[in-house]
Amino acid sequence: MSELHGYILLGALLFMLGVVGFLTRRNLIIMFLSTEVMLQGVVVNLVGFSRFHKGLDGQVFALFLLVAAAVEAGLALGLVVVMFRRKLTLDADVWRSMRG
Amino acid sequence: MSHSWFYILYGVMLLGAAGLYGLLPRPQARRPAWAGVVVAIAIVGLAILGLRRMGDWDLRRFYFWLLAIPALWGAVRVVSHPRPVYSAVYLVLVVLAVAGELILADAEFLGAALVIIYAGAILVTYVFVIMLAQQHGPAEYDNRAREPLAAVIVASLLVAAIAQLLTEQPVAATQAAAAAASGDPGNVRQVAGTLLTRYFVALEVAGVLLWAAIVGAIWLVHRRVTADEPASPAGAGKPLGQVGREVPPF
Repeated sequence: MSELHGYILLGALLFMLGVVGFLTRRNLIIMFLSTEVMLQGVVVNLVGFSRFHKGLDGQVFALFLLVAAAVEAGLALGLVVVMFRRKLTLDADVWRSMRG
Repeated sequence: MSHSWFYILYGVMLLGAAGLYGLLPRPQARRPAWAGVVVAIAIVGLAILGLRRMGDWDLRRFYFWLLAIPALWGAVRVVSHPRPVYSAVYLVLVVLAVAGELILADAEFLGAALVIIYAGAILVTYVFVIMLAQQHGPAEYDNRAREPLAAVIVASLLVAAIAQLLTEQPVAATQAAAAAASGDPGNVRQVAGTLLTRYFVALEVAGVLLWAAIVGAIWLVHRRVTADEPASPAGAGKPLGQVGREVPPF
């Protein structure tokens, strides 16, 4: 087995843990923290493939992913602050009326 | 390559999934004490399995799997710790371990950027919001996971599908940047060269995206938002801020 397999496995496991957190936790902030864990898995994957192909495209993609993560964190936390002011709780189930 | 190694790998991951299910938050009385130990055994077992089989035997591989242990353990605790502040601190552990993996993979610039941007900026913002929103200790909704069994099963199937890939040899690497590898002017210079030539337009678009996000975040937060009426009748009459902690979710 090659070195690439290690990166794939580690990235998949980090992504899976993030998925579990996003699906199960009810705290809005921890849900967003779980998406950050998923993004870490993606970064590991991209850099692993970048190393495998001996190119830099994967690393550049990972940099753009950092940009997306920063944007997501800023906007998501702004939304969380607004939602907290509305309901005075971080519980995602308070927003059940949005299920329709 | 032997199939028994894969059976052991799947067994270890199944063990980890069971431990993760036990670790997910639930009311204190029904929280199994063994779950953390099981997850730790599974992670260390995974590292040993990877160390024995993946890649050529050298020090790089040893450090790769050594760093995988704190990365996975930190990720487990991020999603399973009942207190958000600790989740954020464990995410710092994950970020530092992943940055170590990146440095091992000759991506020093990305590793440094990950530590600076994630541990330095994004995590501080998270901790600020956690402090802003939760000043009264642990909340009820942090002690109760939503459908933990279904989520763990779905995620395990996802990982099993990806692990299936490990049975195949990877296709030959492209020679995309054989030129970039020659001479080795250093990772930072190489990344800068790629970023400012091939991906120049994307770089500018990323700047615009960041700027739009700043404007959007300011617009979101600066308005005055007043609290709705309490979420359920049981919360009526309670002081503001107590409602979410005392009202059961269902």
